[in-house]
Amino acid sequence: MNPRALAVWSVAGITIALASANPVYRIIVLLCALNVLVALRRPDVSLRGLTIALTVAALIATVITMLASHTGDHALLVLPAGLPVIGGRVTIEAALFGLSSGLGIAAAVLAAAPLSLVLMPNSLVDALPTALARTGAAIGTALNLIPGIARSAAEIRDAQRMRGWRPRRVREWPDLAVPVVLTALESSITLAEAMEARGYGSGARTHYRDALWHPTDVVVCLVAAAAAVTFVALRFSGVIGDWYPFPDVSVPPINIAGVACCLALAVPALVWRR
Amino acid sequence: MTGPVAASLARFTYRYPAGRMDALDIAELEVRDGLTLITGSSGSGKSSLLRVFNGLVPHFHGGTIGGSATVFGHDVITTPTRVLATEVGFVFQDPELQSVYPTVERDVAFGLENLGLQPAAMPQRVGEALERTGIAHLRGRAVATLSGGERQRLALAGVLAMRPRVLVLDEPLSQLDEAGARAVVAILGVLARAGTAVVVAEHRLEQLALLDARTLSMDGGRVVAPDIRRVPRVAAVTPQSTGACMPASPVAWQLTGVTAGPGRSPVLENVCLEGRAGEVVALVGPNGGGKTTLLRTIAGLLAPLAGDVHRAPGRVAFLPQNPMALLHRATVAAEVAWTVRGDAATGEAETLIAELGLAHLATRDPRDLSTGERQRAAIAAVLAGRPHIALLDEPTRGMDEAARESLSRAVHRMRAAGCSLVIATHDKNLANALADRTIAVGGGGARELIPVAVA
Repeated sequence: MNPRALAVWSVAGITIALASANPVYRIIVLLCALNVLVALRRPDVSLRGLTIALTVAALIATVITMLASHTGDHALLVLPAGLPVIGGRVTIEAALFGLSSGLGIAAAVLAAAPLSLVLMPNSLVDALPTALARTGAAIGTALNLIPGIARSAAEIRDAQRMRGWRPRRVREWPDLAVPVVLTALESSITLAEAMEARGYGSGARTHYRDALWHPTDVVVCLVAAAAAVTFVALRFSGVIGDWYPFPDVSVPPINIAGVACCLALAVPALVWRR
Repeated sequence: MTGPVAASLARFTYRYPAGRMDALDIAELEVRDGLTLITGSSGSGKSSLLRVFNGLVPHFHGGTIGGSATVFGHDVITTPTRVLATEVGFVFQDPELQSVYPTVERDVAFGLENLGLQPAAMPQRVGEALERTGIAHLRGRAVATLSGGERQRLALAGVLAMRPRVLVLDEPLSQLDEAGARAVVAILGVLARAGTAVVVAEHRLEQLALLDARTLSMDGGRVVAPDIRRVPRVAAVTPQSTGACMPASPVAWQLTGVTAGPGRSPVLENVCLEGRAGEVVALVGPNGGGKTTLLRTIAGLLAPLAGDVHRAPGRVAFLPQNPMALLHRATVAAEVAWTVRGDAATGEAETLIAELGLAHLATRDPRDLSTGERQRAAIAAVLAGRPHIALLDEPTRGMDEAARESLSRAVHRMRAAGCSLVIATHDKNLANALADRTIAVGGGGARELIPVAVA
């Protein structure tokens, strides 16, 4: 799969997810993105952490909107007015709008997630234009340092424990944090030295493998771009209505063309194989 | 050595930015094609000299420089490292910190991309380098999954792909098992015979000494007369079954039917071993064979997947492979004192510092020391406080002969005091000199080796 085609698909997914607050479209985008991730993720990738993080983020968005917005006709409960920000009516409308916001965040993040969970970290960096190639290589290298720093932190924690380090108070955490930071800095400097010694910065860089465009990549690119453009056009021409539950909650309007645009985002899972 | 001059230094001096004295002071030095070995004690200036050949000294590190240095006609002082990289390949001491990309094939190509080689020409260069270093079968592997030896060969492949005329290696064998070291030495021999100028700084000379090489010895930043020492003979060992034990002293640690490994993947299966007070056990075996897993299991840092681990009560000292995991205090003395904080054994800490030859470095920042000096500082930091079990993972990494002798003295003293020591090492001489028992770890198990006298 071509990284640029996947990037186009991600941008299309994010655009559709954020172009309308209608939860129906957002749910479809979310499911399509999840399908792509499940079908195409790298073998070493687990979706558990992402799923938990997104669920928590969506719930937080829902709760914040529910507590901070006091608009709506149907009150679930009333918090004491003396409470700053959250004091007042907690309404069903605010809860549903918060849920829709949470869905929007989750759908947008899931649409972007394949860029890091499907592609190798350096693939997208390699796909950057020539003018950004050196910056891209530096970013890719920095990303590559992260797992090493995590391993180093675990090693340092173990070594300090064996020397009797038992963190009971906050002031004892520097005994772990300081060597982790120092080691990370030293690793970065050593890596920079190694990169320099291998000619980094000596001139215009080339790429080991320029990503080729296969017919399936073109299909994904065109379908995703067409879906996003069509959805935005329909949305701003009024054909696809937005959804706003205030002051009284209503059933989200559904447009067949809008649903089709969202469903088109499932195309990578249909044409690409890992 | 009559080939063309690859590199030459004349009246060359160099001082690091915060240095109080010259790190290098070289009257005259010429490097020609073929193999050049650089020996010398830790901190003698070997790594600094190597970095002159590709301009990392002074361009990357800064500092004050004097005299002249040229590499194939390039003035090192005025030519940036990235330009010298077309002529000089450099393999650093720690292969784990040299990988730029997450996969083997891609990482080897990094230098070629920097040189602006056309993509169509790269696969052949990458393939050749992987073949020469014997890791063609790892082409698609993730770098993170490679053993230390494989990573060292990957670092070498990344440099060879650039086809340098000078190849510089800083202690390339320090982390390799015997087979890995043999493979790397064979590659260096082939390159040297083919006309590449190969410059190697190394403490492990047993195998390199077999090659036709010019040897330079360094001391205090100066090149002194060639001084290669005769390599001591290594006693042969033959495998026997496990179970031998010393009945006199109490058991300090015991593994019963232990299966262990990182995550849920067993590296060792059904291992039964024990160590006694006042005993030194050496763990030997190939990279990735499970020595570190075994040490971590004994230490209690890794819970066994099956079986039981027993440790007698008392402090357990553990030296990880990377000494930087330990060193974070402002001075060596403070680092050692931190281990014995709240303990009355501070006198013993001073003894250890002196015993390991660190007295003159006690007020220095551990991170400013050479690799071998850092290693000794880390050993002093973990052995302080009279541990009853001491587990050392590759303690002689980067150490010169004098430092190894000081380590031997410390180990003997601790053994006499009743400490049970377990040392994982590739250093056969160290294992033979210190160990009461030698355990071969690999192939999922551990078995005891019985020494056989050499005629």
